[in-house]
Amino acid sequence: MTTSFNFNISGSAGEGIKKAGLIFLKTCFKQGFYVHGYTEYPSLIRGGRNTFQVHASKEANLSPVLKLDFTIDLQNEGDLPLTKINQDAGGIPQTKNVAGLGIACFIFNLSLDTLNQTIAKTFSDKSKDVIDLNIKIATYGYSYAKKNLSAKALPKIETQKTEDKLYITGNEAISLGAIAGGLKLFVSYPMTPATSILHSLAAKAKKADLIVRHAEDEIGTINMAIGAGFAGVRSMVATSGGGFSLMTEGLGLSGITETPVVIVNSMRPGPASGMPTWSGQGDLQYMINSSQDEFLRIVMTPGDPEEAFKLSKLALNLAEKYQIPVIILLDKYLSESYFTVNKFKDLQQNTRYGFANPNKTKDKPFKRYQDQESGVSPRTIPGQPGGVHLCNSYEHDEFGYATEESEERIKQVEKRAKKTKYLLNDPNFITPILFGEKEADTTIISWGSNKGVILEALKTLNSVNFIHFPIVWPFPKKTFQKLTQNSKKLITLECNSTGQLNKIITQETGLEIKNQLLKYDGRPFFPSEIISKLL
Amino acid sequence: MNYQTKIAPTWCPGCGNFGILAALKQALIAKNLKPHEFTLVYDVGCSSNMADFVYSYGFHGLHGRTLPVAAGIKLANHHLPVIAIIGDGGCFGEGLSHFISLARGNHDILVIAHDNYLYSLTTGQMSPTTKKGTVTPSTPFGSVEEPFNQIGTAVLNHATFVARGFAGDIPNLTSLITKGLNHRGYAFLDVLQPCTTYNKDMTFDWYKKHIYQLDKNYDPTNKKLAIEKSLETDKLATGVFYQVDKPTYHQQVLNNNQPLANKDISSINIKDLL
Repeated sequence: MTTSFNFNISGSAGEGIKKAGLIFLKTCFKQGFYVHGYTEYPSLIRGGRNTFQVHASKEANLSPVLKLDFTIDLQNEGDLPLTKINQDAGGIPQTKNVAGLGIACFIFNLSLDTLNQTIAKTFSDKSKDVIDLNIKIATYGYSYAKKNLSAKALPKIETQKTEDKLYITGNEAISLGAIAGGLKLFVSYPMTPATSILHSLAAKAKKADLIVRHAEDEIGTINMAIGAGFAGVRSMVATSGGGFSLMTEGLGLSGITETPVVIVNSMRPGPASGMPTWSGQGDLQYMINSSQDEFLRIVMTPGDPEEAFKLSKLALNLAEKYQIPVIILLDKYLSESYFTVNKFKDLQQNTRYGFANPNKTKDKPFKRYQDQESGVSPRTIPGQPGGVHLCNSYEHDEFGYATEESEERIKQVEKRAKKTKYLLNDPNFITPILFGEKEADTTIISWGSNKGVILEALKTLNSVNFIHFPIVWPFPKKTFQKLTQNSKKLITLECNSTGQLNKIITQETGLEIKNQLLKYDGRPFFPSEIISKLL
Repeated sequence: MNYQTKIAPTWCPGCGNFGILAALKQALIAKNLKPHEFTLVYDVGCSSNMADFVYSYGFHGLHGRTLPVAAGIKLANHHLPVIAIIGDGGCFGEGLSHFISLARGNHDILVIAHDNYLYSLTTGQMSPTTKKGTVTPSTPFGSVEEPFNQIGTAVLNHATFVARGFAGDIPNLTSLITKGLNHRGYAFLDVLQPCTTYNKDMTFDWYKKHIYQLDKNYDPTNKKLAIEKSLETDKLATGVFYQVDKPTYHQQVLNNNQPLANKDISSINIKDLL
């Protein structure tokens, strides 16, 4: 029995493909489907070819699929005369997409009422005439299909209500998770595919009581975020690889000054301008190694919006607790695709970490970088009596004053390095997770947004399980070794051309994994591609 | 009030930085600010080595990048006076985009640019303010670029307080720093200073002959006049070129008067945010 379908709408940029795709996605969601929306588009405002595809299913699904059950193509109409249908219905060029939606609504046996309600809600900021026209066109498309395409109609899929669910993009989940984690200053410079984090947080700024600043450049963003971090505020920046490249000196500044900051990097194929609106996972080693010299940073690699929310909140907490930079690595596919996930809890709790309460009456220099067992020194913030110190990008002594003495240098390098051990044993650190049977003939190892696609493939594959890394760095060696000690055949899966996680595993454990599945054409893996390779 | 650390200044004998530090301390004393009640943010350069010599909350950042750090601290706690110590290289070279952008936003920080017309910590190369044709180690046949007009740039780009002082005139410099501290919004103070080691042409005596104080009747609210004054190169005026009262950045973006750093984040309700 069919329990899912896959629909694609395409056309040139400016024809309202994304809008139509979203209306369709919402219509399916409202009718109880788990939805996944995946969009491809060029870096253009007009022209090119945009697509939006919706994978809807009765059971949970976390990925797009390749095989399409029905398509609407506004550019190449083929045997579906959309322009004529739209004209006959009394439409204007801008309503052609909606005519297509009416047709798709019939083909997939969805409720026309739900489609029309969604249209009305989507255009609620427009005039009544616009709403009425769109509903009229959609209804006409539906009737046209009923009359002419009934042979193509698919059986109705019965669904259950999804009231405890929501559909959300990775970027929206990152924004919401950051607010949940106490974000109070977000600074950013627009760069695809991270831009919608800026849009989302800017729109929520008043309600969530935070400041969002679109800054002059990425260098300004990270330095401003670090300044606020020094003064006790949880702060975050978001960019893509190019912008991150500009931030790398700031990353080191956070490292040596031990000032918390969270950096979101949503990857696209590069280097340099690369393919701005496409996806890739080529920045993993760069995130671990960027900036001169050595210092601890966390590199988080969420697999879906639910994990993105959780890790975004955790990033702000761990950055503060360990006084380090935390990088959240997304990609265009996770950032901009729509996933159906469990609703987040309304109330989100946070603990503050590492703030000292020095003797307020004694005004003497505060040892900001005092040696500690955990490597984390208590800190004070400007304005606080008894805590005066210098936060210094130069190597420094315990008070923060610059030093070039051998002994002091060694002391501070080792103090900062001690944090790694404590972090890896932190109860909130998320170690690799095993999905599927405990023992299997083949174990796929991956990170980031491949998670959902692999889980989807696992539904079909026999005796294959999967280890997912929600955090790649610092490398969670102990758990990884435990999970793989009895594995038979290992295979790594990544969206880059050299197998970066594969190399990191060898570097950190000595284990060499010969099998890898790599894809680097700007598209995410599709489950069928994994299935065909592993069958 | 004691703003003295145990570390003695490492500047060259006769360096203009001594005069700027003296004036800064006097201005802080005049404002009765305790060491924990304000923050100094330092760039990287001779000027910013001051970080080790002043006892107060401080952040010694990256070359050219200190202004966004200062603005970030201000947004975190807008009750704190924040002063940025920066050189002409960091302020008008490496960090020019920050200088202009933060001025346009009227971020409430006081920017004190130690302007010695050279990169001195890297042994005396030309800086953005160096006169065209100057021979330096990076321009052995004379610099090609025309000098940067920092006063004019600040005025044109909506800085709300623009002034110039001289490191050799501590009483007047103290007064200008005090005015800058009292100003609400982006306050830019360009301080002319000799570099006794690398700039043999622009000595204390040279400055004394080439500077004058703005007339008592000068109108600092007249933008066109301020720009006109900034174009003078034979004689350099000191004093307040331009000052207007406008809402600061934080006044325009904060929801209430509670500093971001004091917000309670122990329990956050995200219910209505989707």
